[in-house]
Amino acid sequence: MDLQALKTQEHKRRVKIGFMWAFFCAILWGLWYIPGTVVWVLNPFDAMYGEIAATSGDGVSLIVTAVLITAFNALTVILALLVWNGVLGKFGEMKRTLKEFHPCSRWFFLAAIFGGPMAILGSFIAMGFVGGAFAAVAALMYPVVGSTLASKWYGEKITKRAYTGIAFIIAGGFTIFGGGVLTEIGSGSVSWIGYLGGLMAAAGWGIEGAIAGKGLDISEPDVSLTIRFIAENIIWWIIIIPLLAIVGFPMFKYAILAFEPLTLLTLIFAGITFGFCYVAWYKSFPLIGVGRGQGIGNLYGLFAVIFIFLFFGDVPSWTILVGGTLCLAGSSIMFLEDTGELESLRGD
Amino acid sequence: MVQTEAAMEAYNAYWANAPLPSAGVLYMVLILIIAILALWQARTFISKF
Repeated sequence: MDLQALKTQEHKRRVKIGFMWAFFCAILWGLWYIPGTVVWVLNPFDAMYGEIAATSGDGVSLIVTAVLITAFNALTVILALLVWNGVLGKFGEMKRTLKEFHPCSRWFFLAAIFGGPMAILGSFIAMGFVGGAFAAVAALMYPVVGSTLASKWYGEKITKRAYTGIAFIIAGGFTIFGGGVLTEIGSGSVSWIGYLGGLMAAAGWGIEGAIAGKGLDISEPDVSLTIRFIAENIIWWIIIIPLLAIVGFPMFKYAILAFEPLTLLTLIFAGITFGFCYVAWYKSFPLIGVGRGQGIGNLYGLFAVIFIFLFFGDVPSWTILVGGTLCLAGSSIMFLEDTGELESLRGD
Repeated sequence: MVQTEAAMEAYNAYWANAPLPSAGVLYMVLILIIAILALWQARTFISKF
């Protein structure tokens, strides 16, 4: 076998592995919705929601409770990522990357700001002020932001075929959640802040992906993602939660009460799915590019519906089947793309 | 904070209509299987590249 054939074979293998990581991300992200949903009915979050809703209203209560749940989620993600990095023997690399703040870590601190408070909080604002289906559709738009930014900023090559695949997956997402969105918007009492939340979610995750793509040029994904979540924990636990406590919300009281076996177990499983899905997302970027990684990752909408049916028994409607078919068509369009097109992920 | 009866009722209601048996435990088993699979693939990836 000559050198060129070996190079092509190696490249094909890398692309396949990139798509595999993006699929892992979609499956684990879809699975996250199971612990991510049930944790809301468990104490102390249920009691916290009730107490804040009684004085500040349902919308504010949802966001403040979501902040505490998200902060605990970020904490359990770190535990999951420590296991991940421990098994892969990456602690030395982590120390080295953390020390190199200017060239490496700063990108992931920046990614944490966009992916954490901006995207996650935006998603919860959309959920609280418009509805869950709208929040899901808004989040599905993030590959448009991510791929456009990656293309304009550092010239990531997005082929027409990749754009078509992303468009199919987004159309599939719209079909899956479209009925719910129309009902929610049609209710007439939607606040503009809900739409702003949707925009924050799409822009936040898209920008995070593009920034991560840049940072991953000079650092490796397992360690980078852990640093990104260390930064997110700092944002939640050292800045936002104390600020909310100063404003008068009972943040620390309920944070301490969260140390209950069933609540902790549920949070740990949320942390495993979220942490591992995120690390798979980051691992796919250097191999297939931000646009494709985010596009395939968007299949989480379809997987969430499948897992919600399997574990909660919510039977999907026909629109979900049509949407699911569109999502599968979109991912196939990208997956079956000639790998020669991906030999260089950048436009040079 | 101990779970109240209402909280446990709401928690159990999620799994009540699931087509899979013991869905409340099974989802954790599935997460562990996929997580171990992902870790194994990550280790394989390191050894190959």
